[in-house]
Amino acid sequence: MFWFDQFVNGLTVGSVYALIALGYTLVYGILQMINFAHGEIFMIGAFAGWAVLLLLGGSAIAGPMLIVALLAAMIAAALASSFSAVVIERVAYRRLRNAPRLAPLISAIGVSIALQNVALKLTGGRDRVYPRVFPTGEVGLGDFSVGYIQAFLIGSSVVMMVGLIVFIQRTRTGRAMRAVSEDRATASLMGVDVDRTIVTTFIVGAALAGVAGVLQGLWIPNIRGTMGFLPGIKAFTAAVVGGIGSVPGAMAGGYFLGLSETVGRELLNELPGVSLPNEWRDVIAFSLLVIVLIVRPTGIFGERVSKRA
Amino acid sequence: MRLSTRWVRVSWLLVLMLAMALTVVACGSSDDEATGTPVATGTAVAGGATATVAPPESGYPVITVGAGEPIKIGISTILTGDLQALGIPIAQAAELAGKDVTIEGHAITFERKDDQCSSEGGTSAAQQLIDAGVVGVVGPVCSSSVIASQPLYEEAGITTISPSSTAVASTAPAGRAPYATFFRVTYNDAIQGPALAKFASETLTAAKVYVVFFNDAYGQGLKDEFEKAYTGEVLGSEGFEKGATDFSSIVTNIEQAKPDAVFFSGFFGEAVPFITQLRESGQTMPFLSADGVRDEQFITLAGAAAEGAYLSLPSPTLSGDVYTTFKTGYLAAYGKEADTSPFTAESYDAASVLIAALKQVAEVDGATLKIDLGKLRDAIAASDLTGAIGRIAFDEKGDNAGGETPVSFFIVKDGQFVPFEG
Repeated sequence: MFWFDQFVNGLTVGSVYALIALGYTLVYGILQMINFAHGEIFMIGAFAGWAVLLLLGGSAIAGPMLIVALLAAMIAAALASSFSAVVIERVAYRRLRNAPRLAPLISAIGVSIALQNVALKLTGGRDRVYPRVFPTGEVGLGDFSVGYIQAFLIGSSVVMMVGLIVFIQRTRTGRAMRAVSEDRATASLMGVDVDRTIVTTFIVGAALAGVAGVLQGLWIPNIRGTMGFLPGIKAFTAAVVGGIGSVPGAMAGGYFLGLSETVGRELLNELPGVSLPNEWRDVIAFSLLVIVLIVRPTGIFGERVSKRA
Repeated sequence: MRLSTRWVRVSWLLVLMLAMALTVVACGSSDDEATGTPVATGTAVAGGATATVAPPESGYPVITVGAGEPIKIGISTILTGDLQALGIPIAQAAELAGKDVTIEGHAITFERKDDQCSSEGGTSAAQQLIDAGVVGVVGPVCSSSVIASQPLYEEAGITTISPSSTAVASTAPAGRAPYATFFRVTYNDAIQGPALAKFASETLTAAKVYVVFFNDAYGQGLKDEFEKAYTGEVLGSEGFEKGATDFSSIVTNIEQAKPDAVFFSGFFGEAVPFITQLRESGQTMPFLSADGVRDEQFITLAGAAAEGAYLSLPSPTLSGDVYTTFKTGYLAAYGKEADTSPFTAESYDAASVLIAALKQVAEVDGATLKIDLGKLRDAIAASDLTGAIGRIAFDEKGDNAGGETPVSFFIVKDGQFVPFEG
């Protein structure tokens, strides 16, 4: 069914945006800085997962081994991305924590460009491709069916997002993150280790982006050094639409952007006299963004920004 | 320390505009190219759009090659990014043509510059090559780079021979006469587009097609020529940006439209995710594309999804003595077959044309060598030689009018490009 399929397409790409957007929003919530190198964290995760899948046998992976391999790839991606994020935070952001706001922003853009070029250099600028190990086919009832990969991608994202909410709401570390985000100085006086909490935030955001890289690789399938740039910008947009600093906002923003690029564009095509082929998707997505921000400058879930301001 | 709400809003707007600007840059599709209007880079435009070729207003310089120094030829190609797989063999093939060649005791060296297959890269490579004092240029590879850099080369009086730019606009710029300093060895999309359209309707017997194209000078130009010539019904025509990965929305539209074939106008970097998503969603209709996809990398990356894909090249199935010499020379020099990547033979020929013209016009002056770039340009325009791709002779616009059967077709079979006969 056409509309259902487009809806699923929107959810798929929206899931990737949402997972990356969470990293932007977590870091913003705690440091009020935009980590523009976050798209490259996503790219690093994609490459780490790819390397693990190749080590475990590449396209020969099948049967129960597939589950092990997928888990291993996702864990490796989360670790590689988290490790990179910790290094980046230590090297490029920590010293600038009390500098004027523009300084860490520029530093982040610098890290982003540097990482892209290192990746291009290491790969010789050539694409790599995920082994096509995931079974193709569809699950569902009649017209309402979803490809296995898309179902897996959407399902895994939801699981991770639920996990993230539980982590933030129910654990000690999560409580520390919320405390530092509300008021860093007071949290520090209350005995919260601020540096550690900030590093934890980077790790959590990076792990989500890293796994998103693997999920996208399984789906797309080619990966390259510059692959993090556009999703990074889009996810940042999603985070802003949702209300930057807000966790549910980043999730909602990701799905909103994904759906407006696909279902939104097709809906506009239904209007008489309107023809908006695929090349209009970014125009539509970003126009909607401008409209949302004019109507609601703090984003969909963005009350906290205005309260803090 | 806290900022006012309004200030927060304003700064958000600024950051957002930055983000949008970056996206536009990343997408890199230039509307100028798409519509074929000349890219204004602040250069002398010949008065009136006459059909004749006017010489550059500033005239042609004379380059002096010092005693014992080599003659420098520029190569504008793709050296970085995912399309370097296309660009590097092209540079190697050109360099092969100049290997061991001496003109009046002067050797030939090649200066490679990266044009990244983009408008911005094309102009930047042009500037670097002009500054380096090259006598002529092989390249640029991509039509977007060609169109953006033509005014710069024209003003500098430096002749460029592109092995591979197929866009019609390269030799027929909108709103002005063709550039005097531009020639190309390959055949343009006004030939390849109709050949593809004929192949779709006659060989594939497709009465309805769906078109997917890359939003740049090459992708749009070829798509326009295809659609103009195609006699069946075009069910839909959708574009994508450089680096696009998610084609699921287009694939769903194709599923809905049920075309008899899909025509893809673009490069292999995006053809790989597109054909993978198309095949994995269970669509089995023929996939037809052209030179931008006919690269070994397409098969390596897309694997099983690439099987059965039809691809065209704007050149005849190559044979002949010069081609054999080139092929063996290339294999010996670089350890791989020349035909795994398109336009290597064209690049070898472009360099050969340039070198043959240099031999005619280089004047010995004491221990130095004088090369009048105006005479060089005229010698290139008058060339008539047999190259690896066949006879090469340029018409007044700079198109190669020497060949006869310029479009050949291939099918991907067991991970190889196999020539496809009707």
